[in-house]
Amino acid sequence: MSAKFDLNDDSLVVIIGSGAGGGTLANELAQKGIRSVVLEAGKRFKMDDIENDEWKMFGKISWLDKRYVVGPARIAEDFPNLPAWIVKGVGGATMHWAGVAMRFQEHEFKMKTTNGTVPGANVLDWPISLKEMEPYYVKAEKKMGVCGTEATGMPYHGKSSHYKVVAEGAKRIGARCEQAKLAINTEVRDGRPPCQVNGFCMQGCRIGAKWSTMYTEIPKAEATGNVEVRPQSMVLRIEHDKTGKVTGVLYADKDGNQQLQKARIVAVAGNSIESPRMLLNSESSMFPDGLANSSGQVGQNYMTHTTGGVYAEFEKPVHMYKSTVVPGIVHEWKDNDPTRGHLAGYELEILHLGLPFMSAFLNPGKGGWGRELADSLANYGNMAGFWICGEDMAVESNNITLHATEKDQYGLPVPVVYKTDHINDTRMRNHAYDRSKELFDAVGALKVNNLPPYPASHNMGTNRMSEHARDGVVNRWGQAHDIKNLFVSDGSQFTSSGTENPTLTIVALAIRQADYIADQMKRKEI
Amino acid sequence: MNKNKKTLLSSFGKSDNHCSDRRNFLAKSGKLALGASAVVVGGGLFSPNSFAAQKIGNDANTTLLKLARDIYPHDTLEDKYYVQVMSPMAEAAEKDAELFSLLEDGVKLLDKTSVEKYGVAFTQIKSEQERVVVLKMLEPTPFFQKIKGALMMGIYNNPEIWPLFGFGGSAWEKGGYINRGYDAIDWL
Repeated sequence: MSAKFDLNDDSLVVIIGSGAGGGTLANELAQKGIRSVVLEAGKRFKMDDIENDEWKMFGKISWLDKRYVVGPARIAEDFPNLPAWIVKGVGGATMHWAGVAMRFQEHEFKMKTTNGTVPGANVLDWPISLKEMEPYYVKAEKKMGVCGTEATGMPYHGKSSHYKVVAEGAKRIGARCEQAKLAINTEVRDGRPPCQVNGFCMQGCRIGAKWSTMYTEIPKAEATGNVEVRPQSMVLRIEHDKTGKVTGVLYADKDGNQQLQKARIVAVAGNSIESPRMLLNSESSMFPDGLANSSGQVGQNYMTHTTGGVYAEFEKPVHMYKSTVVPGIVHEWKDNDPTRGHLAGYELEILHLGLPFMSAFLNPGKGGWGRELADSLANYGNMAGFWICGEDMAVESNNITLHATEKDQYGLPVPVVYKTDHINDTRMRNHAYDRSKELFDAVGALKVNNLPPYPASHNMGTNRMSEHARDGVVNRWGQAHDIKNLFVSDGSQFTSSGTENPTLTIVALAIRQADYIADQMKRKEI
Repeated sequence: MNKNKKTLLSSFGKSDNHCSDRRNFLAKSGKLALGASAVVVGGGLFSPNSFAAQKIGNDANTTLLKLARDIYPHDTLEDKYYVQVMSPMAEAAEKDAELFSLLEDGVKLLDKTSVEKYGVAFTQIKSEQERVVVLKMLEPTPFFQKIKGALMMGIYNNPEIWPLFGFGGSAWEKGGYINRGYDAIDWL
């Protein structure tokens, strides 16, 4: 039974956002008897709202509030108002993801120790290690139902035709390819059905086989009676008292009325553009640069992963859409081996788009037309391909700032996203393009198309964790260095991006953070 | 390999046969079933009395269709798929002065550019390659981008076309592919 809390109740945790971070944190706290209000900017969707239709779902669930992309990268030209491809709705970006759930590698928590200072980058070690994270990874894998793991014992999905084409190419060039660990059921588990391979994982799973907080953590949290979710509640600012502790959250409700929810603790989990934006929007005479920003790092070090696409065309059908969206991963280049010409690693994630999205991303932007493109699209049925997902170097000037004059529908300054490659990103992407072509050529590709990066679904780093307060925004628990009852609970706390998709790590961190918050509350520290 | 082309020769360097002139187009559309011609006749873009023909100029019909086919050329796709996109746009222009001038000015610019470059109107340029040169010059214009955007949705987001290009569309209501060949491949 969903709770209903008073606006003046100052004993609550107020969680902003209901995705992998916020949704998980709410449920973890609720199971411990800790009460929270979840403020979610988007609507609450029902299972019936989920369709196997790329553009309809894009229009329905995407975060489409005004944003600017600036910088010299092609994405600023191709998608000037869509830096990120994420969700505005209960469940957040756990609706829009392919379910890929891999743990970080040990070295990815210590990029600075591993590679030293990287010129032009702002690389730092995490204040936590893989060893400390391992028990939480196990809990996250259990919670989410990740196939192919010891934690669940659930088998992999089986080899789709798309997987088989890539695996054969990988074998011929001696690269390691494995089925993907996915938070998608392959058996009935946790009250959800097994995957039936609809091929539309990415925009919400119609049958709920894929883990999403929308229909797992959120209803479970509500069932405890300890959680109230308020959809269509857009946070305007986080309030604090004269001691510098946060005291509540001002938001616009679904009717546009301003409400102030008091709080004992505030946890920010609005994804890596909105989370720093909220902190910056909460500037005050005491915190003129925004909340928790004594380091100046709020909004900085924006990382998206080093991405790109590669789609090969063959003589005969592949039918890549008859598959989980990501059936497998080529892991060969995920390690940190500078002899390749770049630091850090990348994964080649076998991934299909439907024809409608392929037409938009094969050659995005104004120049995407003409016979070559049309010929490739007519050959859609014979395509196989990857999404390149590699570590993105933290660069301070890749950042989220507030527009000087332009306001959005809530009266808040529009976020401006600056993102461009570090030279390491460019080298890594080119390496990935080259290896992909070798792999596909080895299995008889007639043509291999390279796709530039499209709007980012992996957004990280803008409120990063650091050992020392001068280097980042939050400590090893996601707790603000400057304000002890303020937490960051999403991917914006990542110190490095890793090569792995971020969701599993966000969930593991949220489970860990819930333990810490419960402990600190018990000790009356917060 | 590619069902999209007739032969390379017919698409490049030589005149292509799709609606290369107005008579040819009308002859083809005359063969359409009544249901389909209703789109054509009922105030649509491509009837001789259509809005576009009357207001933008007699050649606007063929010009816009030619343009549409050159933006996403699929020789094996019937004209109706392109008409389904262009017709509603022309109809909307009847009530939308801004859209009307966008189309009118766009067609004029297209022909002007063609004349400057090749001495003839756009539809009279025989080779696709040369028309592409002209279109590349128009690519940055809102006129071109408007039509390109509408065509992208109208062609590649059209469930009627998906089977022709090998895409399955919505699958959940059919039980997905778990029992319908998700692992089938015979050429590796």
